[in-house]
Amino acid sequence: MLEIFSEPFFWIIMGACYTFMFLGASYWAKDLGLKMNVWKWLFTGFWFALLTLTISGGFTLFGENEWRAGYYFLGFLGVIVIILAVVLWRVVKWNPQSK
Amino acid sequence: MDKKSKKGISRREFMKVGGAVGAALSLGGAAVAGFVSGRSKDTYTGWGPAPYGEDQFFNRKPFYVDKPTYEVVGKPERIRYLDNIFKRNGELYRLMYAKDGEPKWDLSKGAEDLPEPLKTYYLNNSERLAEFKRAYYKADEQHKNWPKYQDQFFIADAWSTAHSTSFRGRGSFPLEPKGPPEESDFNGVTMKPYPLKSPKHGSELIKKISHTFGATLVGVTELKEEWVYQGYLRGVGKTEFKKPEHWKNVIVIAVPHEWDALYVNPTYGTSYDAYSKLNFVAGKIEIFLRKMGYSARIHVPPVDYDIIVPPIAIDAGLGEFGRNGIVITPELGANTRLAAVTTDMPLEPDKPIDIGIKKFCEKCKICAEECPSGSISMDDAPTKNIRGFKRWDIDQDKCFTVWNSVATSHSRGCRICLAVCPYSRKNNWIHRLAKEVDPYDPSGAFASAMLAMQKNFFEYPGANEYLPPPDGSNKTYGEPPEWLDSSKWFDI
Repeated sequence: MLEIFSEPFFWIIMGACYTFMFLGASYWAKDLGLKMNVWKWLFTGFWFALLTLTISGGFTLFGENEWRAGYYFLGFLGVIVIILAVVLWRVVKWNPQSK
Repeated sequence: MDKKSKKGISRREFMKVGGAVGAALSLGGAAVAGFVSGRSKDTYTGWGPAPYGEDQFFNRKPFYVDKPTYEVVGKPERIRYLDNIFKRNGELYRLMYAKDGEPKWDLSKGAEDLPEPLKTYYLNNSERLAEFKRAYYKADEQHKNWPKYQDQFFIADAWSTAHSTSFRGRGSFPLEPKGPPEESDFNGVTMKPYPLKSPKHGSELIKKISHTFGATLVGVTELKEEWVYQGYLRGVGKTEFKKPEHWKNVIVIAVPHEWDALYVNPTYGTSYDAYSKLNFVAGKIEIFLRKMGYSARIHVPPVDYDIIVPPIAIDAGLGEFGRNGIVITPELGANTRLAAVTTDMPLEPDKPIDIGIKKFCEKCKICAEECPSGSISMDDAPTKNIRGFKRWDIDQDKCFTVWNSVATSHSRGCRICLAVCPYSRKNNWIHRLAKEVDPYDPSGAFASAMLAMQKNFFEYPGANEYLPPPDGSNKTYGEPPEWLDSSKWFDI
């Protein structure tokens, strides 16, 4: 059953999800009044990658039956991701031209 | 203003909802992909789907060094055969259970009653004889306790027995050497070898062939005299001898234990699965080389060696010594079991590597903390001079006593130090990332961070817990897989 999640078809679906996410991100940014530039997008991308790796890492450890390690991993890195999310929000909201 | 679609949803809204759903699904997909990666057997290196060498995935080239990472602190000495616990225990057993039925020695006697060279050896190492006696009594206890634990562990026991059936003396392959190496190593050689294009071609060919025979890792090096046993030569018997001239090069192969069984050491685990594989792989390499016109002699576990293989594996760049005395490799961690084939085939030697394992072991100490026999040194750095090499001390006699204490049918070993080693984790993306990144960090900060996670996130039962009651509670390091769980398959 779980094998389908390592088949090429699964990764095609994942690719489609990422494509939708990238396409939708600029609309969200505009509607939220964010003045995005390359650096802000890069920082956002880095944060999302870290979020993805944290979730994936925690669940990888669950898959290994290392439940405690998985929860600790999610908890520890999750806190870092939340702190970075606050920092990221301040960065993307920052607009020097508005001063 | 955006144009509305026929159903009244604007393109902007569609893209926003699509983007949000895409982000949520991609995070969900990452969680599922991670879980599948953690469960997957494909990341059990050496037992996965790649028999053509892909399991030897670590790029060693950036870490090549001119000298191996073991430290030479004196004149290297060859190991005497009695320094090997299995050889000296074998000698004692042969006296206790002599073929003529008349015991030549028993446990009530001391070292002074032993024949030479055992007498001198044990007079100089009296604590080892005391530990042998302790192990013997523990084995008796173990044997009596087995019916109590049999219901739980009998599948593991049968599995181990099936693997061990091929060992020399019990099966017919690989063949035992008979006569001096100058004869026995050439048995079956019927032709002169074709001229090799170069030693490099020889190395590449034998590596490819070894992988197809089932070797997970293969390395090649020249044989140094100091790695040859002294005092006993298979096929000849007790003798003092020089390294035979045709033992020019060594092909070292490594395979892992089946990973599920490794993680449920000491009671479900076994050494025999890897040993059996090594016997067959090395035996086939031996025959292949002889058919090609070259001499060949295998050196295989459990006890059929004329050379000590771990330092040779280090010379061949497979890995480095760990605190637990095991060669730790980047692909298999401490779950690395070794065998070798000596040959006169011209081969280009591999270079040793330095990926910082010694430095990691200096900080880690998990194997020493979890060892139920307390036989692994807790010293920060290697301190003991063993035959001219600085090493962490391993008390092999105490180790063997625990083999005779755990809840198995007989002394099938323990291997907790292999299972708990942080390098022995599955090669899924998260552990592989750690293993691949760490060697590139000379500061050691990455290793320290990984080690902090290792010690604080993961559960370790504690050294005594692996022992049977009353000392412990028969704990295993990991949870038993369903195929070793007897209650799943039988009405017990």
